Amino acid sequence: MISTEGKNQFNEIFEELGKTLDITEEEHNAAVKSYVFVGEWLAEPESSLNPYKPEILPQGSFMLGTIVRPVNENEDLDIDLVCQLVGKRPEWTQYNVKNKVGDRLKDHVTLKRLLKKEEGRRCWTLEYADSANFHMDILPSIVSRDYKIILEKAFTSRELENIDRLAIRITDKEENNYRTEANPELWLKSNPFGYGKWFHQQATLEFQKAFSLKESVKPVPTYQKEKSPLQRVVQILKRHRNIMFNGDEDKPISIIITTLAARAYRKETHVIEALLNVIKQMPNEIKERYVSEVGKPIKWIANPVNEQENFADKWPENPQKQINFYKWMEQVSVDIYNALDKHGLSNIQEALEKPFGEKTINTVFSNYGEKMRLLRESGNMKMAASTGLIGMSGRTNIPPHSNFGEDA
Amino acid sequence: MHRISLVLQEGVLKSYFPTSKIKRKGESELIWTHSISPTPLSNSYKIKLHYLRYNGVNVYVTEPKLALAPGKDKLPHVYSTPEQRLCLYYPDGIEWNVGKLYVKTLIPWASEWLYHYEIWLGTGVWHGGGIGHETEAEKQEQKQKEDIIDEGTKDKRTRF
Repeated sequence: MISTEGKNQFNEIFEELGKTLDITEEEHNAAVKSYVFVGEWLAEPESSLNPYKPEILPQGSFMLGTIVRPVNENEDLDIDLVCQLVGKRPEWTQYNVKNKVGDRLKDHVTLKRLLKKEEGRRCWTLEYADSANFHMDILPSIVSRDYKIILEKAFTSRELENIDRLAIRITDKEENNYRTEANPELWLKSNPFGYGKWFHQQATLEFQKAFSLKESVKPVPTYQKEKSPLQRVVQILKRHRNIMFNGDEDKPISIIITTLAARAYRKETHVIEALLNVIKQMPNEIKERYVSEVGKPIKWIANPVNEQENFADKWPENPQKQINFYKWMEQVSVDIYNALDKHGLSNIQEALEKPFGEKTINTVFSNYGEKMRLLRESGNMKMAASTGLIGMSGRTNIPPHSNFGEDA
Repeated sequence: MHRISLVLQEGVLKSYFPTSKIKRKGESELIWTHSISPTPLSNSYKIKLHYLRYNGVNVYVTEPKLALAPGKDKLPHVYSTPEQRLCLYYPDGIEWNVGKLYVKTLIPWASEWLYHYEIWLGTGVWHGGGIGHETEAEKQEQKQKEDIIDEGTKDKRTRF
């Protein structure tokens, strides 16, 4: 059984892993700068969208604070964005709204070049491959006139009531009424900000300020260096998934991982405790529901802001997705407990390399080493009597020394 | 500099490490051995601190035999890989000298060395910082010893 001190140390290691997987402040700022520019371009006076006050807001993992770097450094970071229009011309259909946004993007020489040739089902994609390595999915949507106020209110209160009012209306090429329906009340509904509120509510610890909540739906969110244990757990789980299913179409999807982890999380204050609890409880958060069209009970992972939406709705038609999900959950457990069983930092490092990526784990332990060196240089390193353990606490202060003569 | 007597060093060592083994010959020699772990998740290492008058003090890892990082043929920051004799400070007579307590200097430094050794073993890179080159540190140490001998004692240098 692992000691409390050992657990605390694992916590530091997993915290460091989360930090290593996260995007840097520079990347964050570069992404924000890019989409703010797009938002301003859409809103300029000569734009046909100008009367509808277009605004671009982050959604998805960028808003949730659960974004992870791609496994392969040449791959792009995905950034999900919502393009909000406050109302529209009455006759505009989904098709019109989608293309008004697309046309305006094409009016700009650079944006036109960045725009991915194939149009997405619901989004436009900008690929910033040369300057910075990310691509941005922009989801055109319509909101009501008072949406801004509703959103502001929702994110300052702790209640989850009326979360449905945060829903936005989106366009979808595969809907039958895509080219005909002009009444947004009859378009598909999506609730990324309702989900964001729910997630942050699950993630926030009592002593943390509600700051992050409000901050996260601002068009220009400030970079958050410190993340809550749940955010770190989701990052760690997503990374494990990315390594295990690199490129596999039937991998467990992020929204399922994020939702189940957030449901399983019990406000543990340490990443390691949160991780151990979440991997144990996650499978139990999958419910079953009888669906008459299928004629039997199916796995049900409800969207927390829309009980009727099942995030696992692809599982019945594609059982491999379900099989992969359970396989993955089991593997996460095996890999984490395998590392926890190890002794000696280099053995722990080795145990984490395969499931999380050799280069990433190498960085984690390098940073961990650097941390100890900085602690010594600050003069705050101490040694415990009898065991010789070094760290922040102990009986004797370790005087700074320019030790260790030779660099091998 | 006021030299700390071996009697006092022994007393303090016993107080910090009650279960450690200490052998002392008057004021001429002291050998301290004990197992320490730099962090809770680290392995345990047997350390020997050996003070011999006119020969200075040396710190060794006596157990286990330390593995090398992939692609390396010697340990980082040691005077001798086969002996596993650690290089813990810059031998300029300031960072460490006989006026300092082992428990406040050499022993925590050895523990810190072990921590960075484990990181080095995994990453292949020494993250503990340090100075210059082995040759520089060794030269300096050698010079110190010669100085001690020059001071006119017909001491038998058992080592070397």
